[in-house]
Amino acid sequence: MQVEKFYYDNKTVKWFAYAVLVWGLVGMLAGLWIAIEMYYPPLSMGFAPTTFGRMRPVHTNAVIFAFVGNGIFMGVYYSLQRLCKARMFSDTLSKIHFWGWQLIIVSAALTLWAGCTSGKEYAELEWPIDIAIALVWVLFGINMFGTIIKRRESHIYVAIWFYIATWVTVAMLHIVNSMELPISFLKSYSMYAGVQDALVQWWYGHNAVAFFLTTPYLGLMYYFLPKAANRPVYSYRLSIIHFWALIFIYIWAGPHHLLYTALPDWAQSLGTVFSIMLIAPSWGGMLNGLFTLRGAWDKVREEPVLKFLVVAVTCYGMATFEGPMLSLKNVNAISHFTDWTIAHVHIGALGWNGFMTFGVLYFLIPKLWNTSLYSKKLANTHFWLGTIGIVLYAIPLYWAGFTQAMMWKTFTPEGQLKFQFLETVTHILPMYIARSIGGAIYIAGVVVMTYNLIKTIGKGSFVADEAAEAAPFPAEIKTHGNEYWHRWIERRPMQMLVFSLVAVAIGGAIEIIPTFLVKSNIPTISSVKPYTPLELQGRDIYIREGCYLCHSQMIRPFRDEVARYGEYSKAGEFIYDHPFQWGSKRTGPDLARLGGKYPDSWHYNHMQDPQSMSPGSIMPAYPWLYEDDINAFTTPKKIWAMRKLGVPYPEGYEDKCNADLQKQANEIADRLKGDKLEIKPQKEIVALIAYLQRLGKDIKAAPKQETEKQLTIDN
Amino acid sequence: MSNLFKKIVLPFALVLLGTLSAFADGPKPPSSLSNPFVTLLAIIIVLLAVVIGILAKLVIGSAFLKLQKEKNEKGNSKGIVTFLTILFVGLSANLFAQDKAVSDSTTAVADKAFATGLAGVSETAYYLLGSVVVLEVVIIAALLFMLKAFLAVEKKAVVAEIADASVPAKPQYDWWEKVNSFKPIHQEADIDLGHNYDGIRELDNRLPPWWLYGFYLCIIFAGIYLYRYHVAQTAPLSKEEFEISMAQGEAEKAAYLEKAANNIDENTVKLITDKAALEPAKKIFETTCAACHTATGAGNVGPNLTDDYWLHGGSVKDVFKTIKYGWPDKGMKSWKDDFSPVQIAQLTSYVKSLHGTNPPNPKAPQGTLYVEEAAGKATADSTKKDSSISSLKK
Repeated sequence: MQVEKFYYDNKTVKWFAYAVLVWGLVGMLAGLWIAIEMYYPPLSMGFAPTTFGRMRPVHTNAVIFAFVGNGIFMGVYYSLQRLCKARMFSDTLSKIHFWGWQLIIVSAALTLWAGCTSGKEYAELEWPIDIAIALVWVLFGINMFGTIIKRRESHIYVAIWFYIATWVTVAMLHIVNSMELPISFLKSYSMYAGVQDALVQWWYGHNAVAFFLTTPYLGLMYYFLPKAANRPVYSYRLSIIHFWALIFIYIWAGPHHLLYTALPDWAQSLGTVFSIMLIAPSWGGMLNGLFTLRGAWDKVREEPVLKFLVVAVTCYGMATFEGPMLSLKNVNAISHFTDWTIAHVHIGALGWNGFMTFGVLYFLIPKLWNTSLYSKKLANTHFWLGTIGIVLYAIPLYWAGFTQAMMWKTFTPEGQLKFQFLETVTHILPMYIARSIGGAIYIAGVVVMTYNLIKTIGKGSFVADEAAEAAPFPAEIKTHGNEYWHRWIERRPMQMLVFSLVAVAIGGAIEIIPTFLVKSNIPTISSVKPYTPLELQGRDIYIREGCYLCHSQMIRPFRDEVARYGEYSKAGEFIYDHPFQWGSKRTGPDLARLGGKYPDSWHYNHMQDPQSMSPGSIMPAYPWLYEDDINAFTTPKKIWAMRKLGVPYPEGYEDKCNADLQKQANEIADRLKGDKLEIKPQKEIVALIAYLQRLGKDIKAAPKQETEKQLTIDN
Repeated sequence: MSNLFKKIVLPFALVLLGTLSAFADGPKPPSSLSNPFVTLLAIIIVLLAVVIGILAKLVIGSAFLKLQKEKNEKGNSKGIVTFLTILFVGLSANLFAQDKAVSDSTTAVADKAFATGLAGVSETAYYLLGSVVVLEVVIIAALLFMLKAFLAVEKKAVVAEIADASVPAKPQYDWWEKVNSFKPIHQEADIDLGHNYDGIRELDNRLPPWWLYGFYLCIIFAGIYLYRYHVAQTAPLSKEEFEISMAQGEAEKAAYLEKAANNIDENTVKLITDKAALEPAKKIFETTCAACHTATGAGNVGPNLTDDYWLHGGSVKDVFKTIKYGWPDKGMKSWKDDFSPVQIAQLTSYVKSLHGTNPPNPKAPQGTLYVEEAAGKATADSTKKDSSISSLKK
């Protein structure tokens, strides 16, 4: 048969590998920074960009979209070419993809530090960057499908199924969740409000884990693990079943992030049961990986690449078992809002994504430079540093999360809460210290790896275009005897794309559409009114400073939470919240009913020096709020945008809103003056106080009958 | 063979029994959840015990294999040593289990006195539990070391066997093969699908049965879950669960209060003058009230509590009421959900005890002059102007 000669493009792979190393270190150091801030708040230095609320999105975005994102592209660009026996479709597209993605990362970091955020976790980036992401993602898709279409292999391998599902689902999630109405170049409001916004956001958030951190990495596992072990994949039929089951079931599980919240019960239950059903499909991937190593375990002892891959796959198995357990309501009642969740995600992030990436790097770099690894010993050192780092990171946090939840829930026999919130925080500070040490050790491992890889690169010579040869795409596909039905779709990438889209669209549609259309899902409360202009400005400051990253605004229907914070939260309270601010972690107490709890002067002093009002608090100070002026210029635009989104401000209120803002600000400044606190009414702190004093107040004015009606509807 | 089987199973069963008995009377959950450390330590102890059980089984298994081999090769001279090791492992595991049962019961006793000490746990309990954990870790390390020693011998033997390559090696873990429906590696060619992607071949092994049935079970669980919560409605949804827990909480509280003679209210509260009895109140004041009133009571956001002027009345009953119900519109919150009646009574007396302490940087007087009913000495150092205002109000 005629054999064709062609070249693999290694240059793009190399660039993505460099990006992985650089952004990995940056993202992890940002993580270490905020881990230390949790017990040493002065580290924020009174400087806005280095406070926890702004650094935390920088950390999450950097490790997810920069470190793992570039890791995905590195692995896909390497494996896809070899699995298709073809060079990437277009070198130009590869180049645009690479530089476009890096540009997105840089602008993401800069805007997040500047406080530009949409206020939705893991989707913080503002609308121009969202559009850029969509464009670059489409270019990546064209490049990927172009390569698949001009392939020389008759069938597409399981790794590519995962790449296809990843591509189509991430596109869907990103577009639906990023629907927002811009009011300026770097400020927009989510189109959805309250409960609906929460549902869409966690449908996105959960599946960002599924389709950005999991499925592409499973694809990488299916290529790099059998290659490194030189063993056949354990079971083809397991691949088929676990692939389709995984992508179909995963998409439903989002509501498990909202158990016991104001989300309708039926949606919560769907989240729980689909999470439980997800155990087997997830473990299918782990088993197919680990069983592939059957007969090659002696190699695992020798080969650093395999060591990393084995721990990665094992961590994947642990995290995907723990996840469904955390979706059970009685476990979630303890784990949610605590550090338990943080520990859980880091088993996945440090173990699965981190170790998989390291394994792939140790595999690729020597190949790309046509040499061998500089030092196996250093790689082993890295392996142990990483493993110990994960253990030291996770165990203290599990401990902290469990302890704190138990302290929150403890009552004295007299029926009082036994612990003040602050006591439960100061109690777990030693665990926070231990966690940061674990993280530092893990990063030390990454530094060792970087050194090792640089040395490896130094002793090899880069092969930019790797020569390869293969028979052309067969004109006629021969089948011998019985063939799997699934082989049909493996010859048809476009059908694969469509079927994957159908599989992932069902779950989201069934959960999201009724929540938007059926009115009884979100019963309204007549006393809930739109925010005043000053409160709206204050709310945007709240979002800008990332307050939602440490403070929830969602009181769950538990005895302890009702005793601590007040009446549990109702769906109808959030209908004007674009975006919702329920939060997912309680490093500080819940703020849903903060309004009226303390005088204005308390908030004034507390934001300036939190420790003066609550000794031992780990909240940073916000000195710039006392210097910067409210940007009243934006108020009319904000009112206009909110009306567009369905908030009932009267027509023409844009012209009057700033007068109202001024009036309310003066009132607050006067009250502060009464307590001998001099502040000009146009300062940002005044707007923030206005917002904080509004929180949760509306429902208190509700006629009793109406809240009762709400109760019966809820039931 | 069956003899060997018995020899392996018996010690293992003993170890397991030990573990089980530990489950039965051992890590007794602390009476209330107020002690998460004890709970967590107990969970860790049990988990480690399970690990020890499994490791002990492996060590015994590998040791017997070694014993068997040595018997075949050299007779019994070395075998005795190995047998003794095995005995030691089995015994130590059992001893350890008993040891733990004892320490757990000690813990239960220590539990009652956990009010002070480390992390809400009494020091004895803390160190006892801690040392059990350490002991377990040491045992695990020792077992791992033994396992490694035995396996090193095994590995050499296996390598030799492979080099020999005449007889296919007998599967070492046949239950593992069985439970996963493994096809033996040497028959792998039968299930090779002939796929080749960049050198990656694919086998077509059967789905591991436990995995498949596990999947079915999860789906059945999902069905039952949805049926119970949303069709039959035999399980409580969030709000019902909330009502149940509230009712339960109220009932527990009522039952306790009935017995505890804790029913102080604004009508029955009396001034406590014993300084020692006010120590707990001092602590509460300095951590909670100090935010607004400062630690000395001189006032900052809230009013000065050391002078003769009171916004909401200065009698014991009034102060008690102010703390209990608060004056929310003026910024004083209600503390009745945070502190018990006894605590509020102590706080009231503590606040009263601050009177006349003349702390530095006092806040200007607010409200009306209050003169103690019994003795009028409180007004001694007040200015005439102020007293005229107060007399006007009176």
